[in-house]
Amino acid sequence: MSIFLQACVNGLLIGGFYSLMGMGQNVIFGVMKIVNFCHGEMLMVGMYLTFLLSTTFGLDPYACVPLVGILMFLLGALIQHTLITPSLGTKSFTNLLFLTVGLGMLLSNGALVLFGSEYRTIPTAYSQTYITLGQVNLSLPRLISFGVLIVISIALFAFLKYSTIGKQIRAVSQNPVGAEVVGINAKRIYILTYGLGTALAGVAGALLTGFYTIFPTAGAAFGFRALIVVVVGGLGSIPGAFFAGIFLGILETMVALFISPSYSDLIVFVTFIVILVVRQMIILRRK
Amino acid sequence: MLKVEGLRAGYGAINILWDISFEVREGEVVAILGSNGAGKTTMVRAVTGMVRPSAGSVNFNGEELAKKSSRYILDKGIVQVPEGRQIFTEMTVLENLEMGAFNKPTREVFARNLETAYGRFPKLKERAKQAAGTLSGGEQQMLAVARALIGMPRLLILDEPSLGLAPNIVDDILDVASSMARNDGIAVLLVEQDITKALACADRGYVIENGRIALQGAAGELATNEHVKKAYLGI
Repeated sequence: MSIFLQACVNGLLIGGFYSLMGMGQNVIFGVMKIVNFCHGEMLMVGMYLTFLLSTTFGLDPYACVPLVGILMFLLGALIQHTLITPSLGTKSFTNLLFLTVGLGMLLSNGALVLFGSEYRTIPTAYSQTYITLGQVNLSLPRLISFGVLIVISIALFAFLKYSTIGKQIRAVSQNPVGAEVVGINAKRIYILTYGLGTALAGVAGALLTGFYTIFPTAGAAFGFRALIVVVVGGLGSIPGAFFAGIFLGILETMVALFISPSYSDLIVFVTFIVILVVRQMIILRRK
Repeated sequence: MLKVEGLRAGYGAINILWDISFEVREGEVVAILGSNGAGKTTMVRAVTGMVRPSAGSVNFNGEELAKKSSRYILDKGIVQVPEGRQIFTEMTVLENLEMGAFNKPTREVFARNLETAYGRFPKLKERAKQAAGTLSGGEQQMLAVARALIGMPRLLILDEPSLGLAPNIVDDILDVASSMARNDGIAVLLVEQDITKALACADRGYVIENGRIALQGAAGELATNEHVKKAYLGI
């Protein structure tokens, strides 16, 4: 029982990252109807940025989070303005597919050139600290990261629900023509949205560095999971993405514990396919 | 107030409007009539800056708007209720109305305009917290009109308000539009396929055929015009 509980908690703690990644991907998809294939690489960029900031200035990785968020927002806004918005005009899905996939390759290979292929970590005094609650051991950095993730998720939800810009983002996602009719500047919303999505991925990367190794392809696993989260949680649904991420984390940890860690990717993807098939059957039956 | 001359517009290589000229004066309801595909919606989009005209002039209170952005034109007071309503279905009624207050001046008087809009359409007040997609077709059309009113139009363009609605609801919406023209001094451009209803409410009308103005005149004259009767009313 205690092992089960421990796996649940570990799953929850890693699932929060999938949620955050999925929510970023979802906001971008909602507004522009494009799949951001370099979302995972943005997480990796966030990790290296944290690494640079903390080794250069001796900052604690968690202290870097706000700065990484701002820098990644600016990077995302720049990419949107110079690359994605002009490509959206072509209305070609393949153009955007190659653009974001290519950007992802550029970023991970760029990291390889700049930092080499070795695994890096940011050593902290508390990286091996555990808190014991009953029969469950909680890694302190994972716990802190999860706490920050939850705060960010709630803030994102509130931002989209209540702020003027958040409402404009939702308006563009739901009805681009209606948004133009009421005078919303779609290009500005695109920049803000892609900046926001990129910042969320970068912040997820920064929060990972407390307990995760940094390497040029570290983002790939998270990028894939973000896609699963978006599809399972429902396109455009922020709460859906949140819960799908948590579910995915727990599922993965359970498989690793009760079957084998080497099967966890396999079973995650099989579950994904099963969910897709079952959902399609339900939709068809309703019709 | 609005004077359109020689307007030509289309999408990419396909030209839809060839030569459109018409005028709307203050306090007037002007109907733009025509069958499906005549170019009515393209005309609305060209006037509101959503499609850039390739030639012609859109003069609004002395200012040339033909090459201006849709946002700029909105700022000048030309607000449309688009074809198909284009409301935000997953947002609440109140959020939809908030989206109508697009610039600072309209946001500052939002509370007052909201009360006015609720006064005209009490149903919307009852359903303020409901998702707009759960409203009936008629209520959605009211919401689209109310959203436009929140933007404080000087010229209100209604594009096919009758589409898919019960006749009595269409009457309600047209009543609101004409009462605003009579009492508040705004101009209304009513773009319609339902010619009988449109001419009953309008002062003057223009008939678009194949991207050109085919006929124009006072509403009463058009209603009795032989060509209109034969081609559109089936009499």
